Amino acid sequence: MSTNNQTTQADAAAQVPRRANLKWRVVDIAVASVIGVASAFIYWAAIFIPWDALQAVVPGFAGVVNGFWLFAGPLAAIIVRKPGAAIYAELLAAILEALMGNQWGGAETILIGLVQGVMAEIIFLIFAYRVWNVGTAILSGALAGVGCWGYSFFTKLQAIDLGGDYGIIYLLTTVISGAVVAGLLTWLLYVGVAGTGVLDRFESGRAIRGTVA
Amino acid sequence: MTETEKVREAAAVMISSSPKSLEFQGWGYRHASRRSFVAHNLNLSIPAGQHVLLLGASGIGKSTILAAAAGLIGASESGAQDEEGGQSEGKVLVGGVPARDARGNCALMLQDPDSQAVLQRVGDNVAFGLENIGTPSDAIWPMVRAGLAEVGLADLELHRSTSHLSGGQMQRLALAGAVVMQPGVLLLDEPTANLDPEGATHVVAAVRKRLREVNSTMVVVEHRAQLWMDIIDRVVILGHAHGNVDTDSVDSDGIAETVVVADGTPDEIFTSSLDFNKLGVWVPPQYAAGKAQRHEIEPSSESRATHRSGEVLLSTDQLSIGRNSTAIAEKISVSFRAGEITALVGMNGAGKSTLALTLAGLLPPIAGKVTASPSLVKGTNEKGVNGAGVVNDAGASSGTRRAESSEDPARGSVQDHEHAKPTSDDPQKWSSRQLARRISYVFQNPEHQFAKGSVLQEVMLGPERTGASKEKAEKKGRELLCHFGLERYAQANPYTLSGGEKRRLTVAAALASAPGVIILDEPTFGQDRRTWSEIVELIRDLAMRGVAVIVVTHDEDLVAALHARVLRLGTGAQSDIRVTPLSDRVEESKPASRSRLLATINPAIRLIGAFLATIPLLFSLDLVSAGVTLALEFVILAILGIRPWRVIRSAWPVFIGAPGSALAVLLYGKAGGALLLEWGMVHITERSAQLAGATALRVLAIGIPAILLMLGIDMTDLADAFSQVLKLPDRFVYGGLAGMRLFSVIQDDWRALTASRRSRGLGDDFVVARFFPQAFALLVLSIRRSTSLATAMEARGFGGVSVRSHARESRVHPRDYVFMVSCLAVPLFGLAIAAGCGSLAFFGDSSITT
Repeated sequence: MSTNNQTTQADAAAQVPRRANLKWRVVDIAVASVIGVASAFIYWAAIFIPWDALQAVVPGFAGVVNGFWLFAGPLAAIIVRKPGAAIYAELLAAILEALMGNQWGGAETILIGLVQGVMAEIIFLIFAYRVWNVGTAILSGALAGVGCWGYSFFTKLQAIDLGGDYGIIYLLTTVISGAVVAGLLTWLLYVGVAGTGVLDRFESGRAIRGTVA
Repeated sequence: MTETEKVREAAAVMISSSPKSLEFQGWGYRHASRRSFVAHNLNLSIPAGQHVLLLGASGIGKSTILAAAAGLIGASESGAQDEEGGQSEGKVLVGGVPARDARGNCALMLQDPDSQAVLQRVGDNVAFGLENIGTPSDAIWPMVRAGLAEVGLADLELHRSTSHLSGGQMQRLALAGAVVMQPGVLLLDEPTANLDPEGATHVVAAVRKRLREVNSTMVVVEHRAQLWMDIIDRVVILGHAHGNVDTDSVDSDGIAETVVVADGTPDEIFTSSLDFNKLGVWVPPQYAAGKAQRHEIEPSSESRATHRSGEVLLSTDQLSIGRNSTAIAEKISVSFRAGEITALVGMNGAGKSTLALTLAGLLPPIAGKVTASPSLVKGTNEKGVNGAGVVNDAGASSGTRRAESSEDPARGSVQDHEHAKPTSDDPQKWSSRQLARRISYVFQNPEHQFAKGSVLQEVMLGPERTGASKEKAEKKGRELLCHFGLERYAQANPYTLSGGEKRRLTVAAALASAPGVIILDEPTFGQDRRTWSEIVELIRDLAMRGVAVIVVTHDEDLVAALHARVLRLGTGAQSDIRVTPLSDRVEESKPASRSRLLATINPAIRLIGAFLATIPLLFSLDLVSAGVTLALEFVILAILGIRPWRVIRSAWPVFIGAPGSALAVLLYGKAGGALLLEWGMVHITERSAQLAGATALRVLAIGIPAILLMLGIDMTDLADAFSQVLKLPDRFVYGGLAGMRLFSVIQDDWRALTASRRSRGLGDDFVVARFFPQAFALLVLSIRRSTSLATAMEARGFGGVSVRSHARESRVHPRDYVFMVSCLAVPLFGLAIAAGCGSLAFFGDSSITT
């Protein structure tokens, strides 16, 4: 609970946006890693979502839940705030899943992870790793959705017309789901995590918690 | 030179390291997240070879001081910001060199064994630090063996998994990893706080041996120091400058700065007239005799009398317990009475927590059952909790405690009656809400238990879940917060409390649903003197309220202070509950694949092979190429030694995925040929049916090798290959590997979170509503673990400037190239056959060929 009556030097230092430090510290690597690993676990534990059945029966419905599998990249990026964090976390989650074997196949998962990671990363790169807000998070999630959609149609849904009704609906639902779940909800997740104080060693954590006595 | 000679020589090198002095000159540090300095203008000079015990209440900054000495925080120049955004002032010198530049001269050992094992295998963990400072690979293994011998772990196989070690072994392993780097200073941050007495004794013995051979400088932080006293030369007690010892508060304003309040030999310090209780310091029993520190909170004889007079609330009959299907203890018949305190004691891993979780209805018994008494089933433990209102006043320091029946919101409402009548007397069969109302489990790690965003909501959860209205729940919640001294944090995030406060909050939250039985798992682990006393009082108070209290603990002082009935779990004849001994099994190293041939291929090459075997198939979507390739894969895998049924079993997820994708293609795929069915957006045509078949076959043809070629690869081997074969940067490869090791820890966390949610009455919720809050808790726990993992890694020189060496070689052999070519040949063969039949369909786009 910070006091507002006196602005100390420390406050000033925390408020003036400094030049982004883009060098990865060991703790950045460790936290980005564990976000990937925990995400892989969460995906695995969420196997109760009947993804394939939904996809088949309702056109584009699978797209609605797709966003759930996209949060690792944007979350790692907005917490760690280093170049490549989204790609790194997605890749790590994918390698772990590949070693375990999952419904998307083993080694292939790594390609999916790479595509989604790169797409989630792009927006932060465009803003030169300086803009970290709910807007960039949503864009990141939406772009990850585009990656996910593109990959699906490049591989297992090759036989469905990209520009047809199913393709369009799948694109829209996946992008919206990416923006909402992997973007907006992930941002709220980050705010929640930062509120616990575990991110105090991170610029992103201090941006939420401020400085405390 | 023989292997033994090499090890002996390495051992000689290891003890040749010279001790270094440690000096703090006007040192201070301010964390980036804090407005005030943890320490300010600290002056402390430790000559080379001295052994110092550093004491002080929790939160006083002892860990920060050790991290600074290890060069992990603070910038090289005074006043500058470090990488963490923190600000340091003054200097820390190790052997006259700034600590920042002397990393590796100081070994740092931390409290949590789990976050110090960086890699999966025992030997690799010891080698880790040596690799980080670039020790040539042929010198590493003799040093690893010497290091393990140094700490008494010479018998462990190098490939043994760290997840099969006890806490004490893990800490000695961490010490081995530190001493092989020949540090001049040993920094030990509560190294035995999480251990059972036997484990702690082994760790201290290992340090003592080391200090006898090499007179390293040592600074140890430990709340309970009796085991260390014979090797301590000097005691330094930290306190607050203005006598404000309210260090338990995390976010309160005006924390005074940390200063040295006492400094001298153990005899001088512990025989002085300092107010140790106020400083949060335990006086070692060697000195405590005259001070009677431990017994100043004797329960009154009256309250002790109530301990054993209650009725039986919970009993077991011929109970067999175990976490999987094998029983670790059988035929347990015990009972627990209202107002009675029972301590479950025994070594780490003996099965105390297994028994406690079974009693709590959180783990199914293997045989026999746990029986709740009729009054516990009814939930009207009036004689218990309410009767305690009378006893209460007689209890120690119970001035503010009130939980009167008339005001107790958890009782009497309509909903309560609906939840409150379990039809069974078996807690295992109760719903989560029914359980929460009757038996509470307080987990060892408070963060396993938190489920709400604020402290107040945490204590309101119990009453709300057991049927109280919001207003009543809040009233009860606020009462409890006052009682436990947490009212000023009502709106704070539970995770931001200090360790002692978190512990009090979890007990308050457990009490809020007014259970008849409360089980506490290791409530005093790692607590300072003041918090310890609070916990003792709290448990006594629970018993006086008529709660049947079961405490799982190693803490002999706690058992004595509580005058608890002791149930000892062990293998010996004098145990009250006999458990099967933990077998010291020999561990074989795991094969890297079911196929012996596949196991010899470099892991990175196997990954590349998996891509080569699958990606070409993406260019054509037709029945022939997919079908031929799939058939060929089964044949080749059989030749490699993996039978078809085993292939199907290993790759089962793709067999679930394939029909789903096929169905989507069937209903919405590209149209052509005869129209078979049309309904809304659905167009089933001859072509879409054919494409659906091709899609299903292709998903299998891609998925099967992609899974089978990867299955069994050891993560460490894969990382070595990434680093040495693919030349990926070591920081990311090994940082990621360390993160992956946490996967098994994360699985355990998830299980604990699931159990705690059931215990708190959240277990009946809809699966999705339960899933996401639990996933959030998991993420917070994981991030906390990974930040201490990062500290442990940096303390071993990871991420430093030197070029890493590699203890394990990862090589590419000619057979690896043959393997890659073979992998590529399989899909190309399928495509060639398809081309021969004229059925190739680039992206499924060719005209229909039936």
